[in-house]
Amino acid sequence: MRSRELVTPEQASDEILTAQVARGNSAALETLYDRHASTVLGISLKVTGDRAVAEDILQETFWRVWRSAATYEAQRGSFTSWLFRIARNLAIDTYRRQNTRPQAVPDMDDTDSALEQMPDPGMDVPQQAQSVFVRRQVRAAMKSLPQVQRQVIEMAYFYGMTRQEIAEATGEALGTIHTRARLGLQKLRDELDREEFEG
Amino acid sequence: MDIRQIEELLPFYALDALTDEEREQVEVYLRKRPEARAQMEEMRSAALALPYGITLMEPPRRSKDALMARVAADQRVRGSSKQEQPSRPRVMRLENLFQMFSLGAAIAAILWAVVLNSQLSQLRKEVSALGTALVAQSNSIDQLNNSVNQINANTPKVNPSNVITVSLKGTDTRPQAQGQLIADPNSRSAVLVIAGLAPLEAGKVYQVWLIEGSTPRSAGFLAMDVHGQAILILNSESVIGSFDALGISIEPEQGSQQPTGDIVVLSDL
Repeated sequence: MRSRELVTPEQASDEILTAQVARGNSAALETLYDRHASTVLGISLKVTGDRAVAEDILQETFWRVWRSAATYEAQRGSFTSWLFRIARNLAIDTYRRQNTRPQAVPDMDDTDSALEQMPDPGMDVPQQAQSVFVRRQVRAAMKSLPQVQRQVIEMAYFYGMTRQEIAEATGEALGTIHTRARLGLQKLRDELDREEFEG
Repeated sequence: MDIRQIEELLPFYALDALTDEEREQVEVYLRKRPEARAQMEEMRSAALALPYGITLMEPPRRSKDALMARVAADQRVRGSSKQEQPSRPRVMRLENLFQMFSLGAAIAAILWAVVLNSQLSQLRKEVSALGTALVAQSNSIDQLNNSVNQINANTPKVNPSNVITVSLKGTDTRPQAQGQLIADPNSRSAVLVIAGLAPLEAGKVYQVWLIEGSTPRSAGFLAMDVHGQAILILNSESVIGSFDALGISIEPEQGSQQPTGDIVVLSDL
């Protein structure tokens, strides 16, 4: 008879907690919220530029996790990829609906931000350390990109702008935008590999 | 869209920034090219790292409270029927369930019997009332039938094709009197309609005579209304066509064997 290893909610993986949420466990949802709410709020605020709107998106994002956890398939990607995509899409939809320009918010270059070192409160100490480390890796990788490549990547990813919209917004040819996006992602991947990134 | 154009879309596919149509084209392309899929995974992994570099924002406590309150409300709505019962032996739960069912069934049966008894009593009252009403209506129908029979018996049997109308005139005593006799000459009945005869003093009546040759035969009495009008159905032992004239005279209340008073109407038939 195999002994069962006890795992506290704080120690359980995101994927295990998501499975528990799918079975109606609100405590598991609370743990996921504690782990990732600050990132989700950061994404929402970066896209919308409105703190109140971003907080609404934060709540809606986790509400959708609660209602749709059963549809999450771990083999198709990590929980955080799924979660951040929900938040990003909600934020982009709001941004497009309100037709507002993104406001100036601290971006990945703002290393002086007081919150940069802020760990996610729902994580244990090793997880908090890993989170801070990962954030530094991504920021460093993005900072290594030429500004024009970083701009295209952020416009596409965080604001959901199509390549035509980016070309129009930047005044560059469509082919130029294609090239900047391809080269930017390749370099970002190389930099993350070099830093042994494990997101 | 050619292959080169589709390959230009790959970074934007990785960044999740394509239209639905463009995304479908890329996915078709990727399904056929394993080397392109590998390249795509490289770019996608870089794109998926982007959120990890975002500046964290501490959410307010109220956001979490609002979320969890919403979740709790949802649990109450969705999960009330799914909440687990306190752990008890299954047999006991079934036994209690059976007892509850039996008790419920018994109460339902009693209530049903009370309701049925009440309804039965009410139905009996209604049946009794209906029976009384039916008897009364049957009596009414009998009375109506009798009346109809009586009317039929008194109604002249005439052949419409042979009916004649004879105008009647008042004598010099009652020149304003006039009337009509409607009859089938071959029948023994006729209808007399008279107007212009004033009501008589007490003890006097208008008596109708059918006159054959010089022999008058009483055919009945007129009951004048306040307007000086009267209708009388005449019945005779002989057919109407056998009479020569019709007369009306004023007679004592009990009537006469032959005219004794003033003759107010006299006309040949």
